[in-house]
Amino acid sequence: MNKGSVKIGLFEIFTLTLLFELGTALVVNLGMESGKDAWLSILIGDCIGLFVFVGYAFLYRRYPKLSLTGYTRKLLGKYIGAVVAVLYVILFMNLAGRDLRDGSTMLVMATMHRTPLFIISVLMILSCAYVLHKGVEVLARTSLIFGVIVLSIGIFCTILLVLSGSIDINHLLPMLENGIQPVLSSVVHQNFMFPFGEMISFTMLMPYLSNRKKGPWVIGATMFLSGLLLSFTMALNISVLGADIAKRSPLPLMPTISKISISDFIQRVDILVVMVLIIGVFFKMAVFFAAALVGLSELFNLPYRKMVYPVSLIILFTSMLDARSFTEHLQEGGKLLYTVYPVFMLLFPAILILLSFIRGHRSPPRSG
Amino acid sequence: MNRNGRFWRSSDGGRKSPAGSSNAGNENGSGTSGLSAVLDETLDNIRNELGNSPDLKIRHVLLPGMVPVKAAAVHFSELANSDSVNQFVIGSLLEVSVDNFRDGKGGSTNLPDYILNRALEIGQASRMEVWNDALLALLSGETLILLDGYSAVISCETTGGEWRAVGEPSSQLVVRGPKDSFVESVATNVSLIRRRIKSSKLRLEYMKIGSVTQTYVALMYIQDTVDDKLLAEVKLRLNRIKIDAVLESGYIEELIQDKTFTPFPTIYNTERPDSAVANLLEGRVVLIVDGTPFILVLPAVFTQFFQSSDDYAQRFDISLLMRIIRYISFIVLMLGPAVYIALTTYHYEMIPTTLLISLLAQRENVPFPAFVEALLMEGAIEILREAGVRMPRAVGQTVSVVGALILGQAVVEAGIITPVMVIVVALTGIASFAIPAYNMSIAGRLIRFVFLFLAGMFGFFGITLGMIVLVAHMNSLRSFGIPYLSPIVPPSLKSRKDTILRLPLWAKGASKSRHTTRVSVPSGKKITSGHEENLSPKIPEEHAETTGPMEGRDQHE
Repeated sequence: MNKGSVKIGLFEIFTLTLLFELGTALVVNLGMESGKDAWLSILIGDCIGLFVFVGYAFLYRRYPKLSLTGYTRKLLGKYIGAVVAVLYVILFMNLAGRDLRDGSTMLVMATMHRTPLFIISVLMILSCAYVLHKGVEVLARTSLIFGVIVLSIGIFCTILLVLSGSIDINHLLPMLENGIQPVLSSVVHQNFMFPFGEMISFTMLMPYLSNRKKGPWVIGATMFLSGLLLSFTMALNISVLGADIAKRSPLPLMPTISKISISDFIQRVDILVVMVLIIGVFFKMAVFFAAALVGLSELFNLPYRKMVYPVSLIILFTSMLDARSFTEHLQEGGKLLYTVYPVFMLLFPAILILLSFIRGHRSPPRSG
Repeated sequence: MNRNGRFWRSSDGGRKSPAGSSNAGNENGSGTSGLSAVLDETLDNIRNELGNSPDLKIRHVLLPGMVPVKAAAVHFSELANSDSVNQFVIGSLLEVSVDNFRDGKGGSTNLPDYILNRALEIGQASRMEVWNDALLALLSGETLILLDGYSAVISCETTGGEWRAVGEPSSQLVVRGPKDSFVESVATNVSLIRRRIKSSKLRLEYMKIGSVTQTYVALMYIQDTVDDKLLAEVKLRLNRIKIDAVLESGYIEELIQDKTFTPFPTIYNTERPDSAVANLLEGRVVLIVDGTPFILVLPAVFTQFFQSSDDYAQRFDISLLMRIIRYISFIVLMLGPAVYIALTTYHYEMIPTTLLISLLAQRENVPFPAFVEALLMEGAIEILREAGVRMPRAVGQTVSVVGALILGQAVVEAGIITPVMVIVVALTGIASFAIPAYNMSIAGRLIRFVFLFLAGMFGFFGITLGMIVLVAHMNSLRSFGIPYLSPIVPPSLKSRKDTILRLPLWAKGASKSRHTTRVSVPSGKKITSGHEENLSPKIPEEHAETTGPMEGRDQHE
């Protein structure tokens, strides 16, 4: 891709990050391992995620014109770097595929009971491919409009929930009933990677930022904000449904929202949640997809556009073949979250930061 | 057929013959050669070239003197204004005496120059030496004066003929505001604009497009307000046009727009002078094509198609409401039937129970699924609309009565369509008329069918994905380098006050924003490519010579 022409503005990166973070996480029962303290574990995960992101931002500051795969090859050398870069591309494709499977299955569960999973996935990946065919800039600009839509749906639903009087704060109490241990275990197993560690994919897009100085700050602030929103949503779910139902429901936001009923006129607005789900899954997958595409086109010097359809095919089949059932898919995802992903999201970046420090000190002294 | 067939002139002097042009290439016999000095030979050449046309009038005059000179005035009786030909051209010629010229009183050494400088009582005349220029001038309604013994001719501005008078606009109506409309004559249209902007900064340039029709295209802009890059790009694209005939501004629009495959118009057209003037003041470029009252305004962004000039004549509060209603009606137009289908087929739990019961009771007798119903009705309403546009005035009553009866009542009573579907379809039909720009409502009508299919097959999932793709598509559009969704995405708070909503003129900066905000091309962007790098601009740099989109049109003509 031609870096000179593609520019992502601050507003756009704000909404893109927001939609990416909220993505699927808004709808699923995030951090429910810790019971009614799920909101707390999300907040802790958010803080850890921010800390990790500081590392990514540091690398970006060092090499503002290079993407992750770019400086990997610079720091690790031509061959090892290329291998690691290929691994990252595979990671992004895998994440996109998993996300597609998540989204499609949740849609089938939520509304489209009789539509085949494959058809839904195909439609989703095709529209994603179309948008990315138009370019990353178009993706970011599109996210601006849908970010506003998602936020207004959120505000609307919250107001309606409050007005219909289904919120019971007592469901959240007592805090830390079983001590801090379940919260920490949930953080370790899930929350520090999902969804905040996935910000690694933004390292592929950050070279396109129009404002190099403020860009990382905006992304960080958005991460924090979306952590707050996620935690708030989870608290809302628990306070409406109670920890027990929220824990058992695969998509706790749906039953929460369906509690809205105002004088028998506005009721069952859960279609709005489905819309938020579709938008979130779409943008999350699109970011992974774009990250994979940018990596591929940089690695092999291929034109970005030619890769869109082959890669979308790979993602589609990854999503279809990765598990036989949704349960297996979730099981697998849970394992990946604390075994494989940390290697890519923590270990490699940490090595890169170390190397860049060493390089920085050993590099020949500047004149003057 | 080549670039020489067109010329640029920065003239503030109004409409004029192509005096400054180097030559006018028209690959036939005489081409760019000079004219013969022998009068009879030249006259024969002209007659032959024009196929002995009966409306070609030749008046022979003998200029008296010691050595009399034969002269002739040639014009087309249907194109020229016969009063000015008789009175000013032939009248002046009859008073010329060759002796005066020979005496040296005129101060000229050349008889044509003498006649041009001293004798002609006409506002505009010029000397021509090239065959094609002279022929083109003649065909534009000017009168040629030929002199025996001289190869130069004098062309006199006598253009006349019938034009429609300035009337009320027929397609963009307002309640309050100016009631004049552009007409088919480019000269009249220029005058309508000039009368409204009495500024020396207002610039006018003429060019001719169409190798056969040689249609005048006037380019107007306000110097210093317009972006120079934009202006250069517009000129470049106009110069690249290769076409035989330009009969409407739509031809030009299609050939210079950024992207071909989109339902959305990226160039605004209007027949209202006040709207054209407002756009000029905002730094846009206006193209007036001879022979059509619809002028082009570029660049155009999405929100512009929802503005109407009486927004600024009414109080701001009502204008604000009207604007919001226009946006809503566009959404209703696109999504109305689709949302209804999605609700009734996939997500009926969202409909309040009492309403759902009555809906289902209606549907009981109807054999079709909602999707087929909607398709039938939308198809019927499109037929009705098309018939309404084409039908002769006299049978208008029949169509509306039959249409209303069939579509309104009979289909319901026959049990083919549910009454609610009639309401939905009627609503979208009405909504399409609430959008001020006709070409934008066409776009909405087309997109509506896509959403109809998506909703019929995938419910709200299809609609949401369709919306994402639609917004992405609109984001990928550019009109002369300006992003199509410009004041919304990428966001610019300054220009948002007026473009999306309509804030009162006294609101801070709003009075400026209407009339002095420059439409500026984002820096660092190449205008030429429509957007980032995928888009093949309408006329690719080099390849256009062989496979440009104009090629097909050439054959078509």
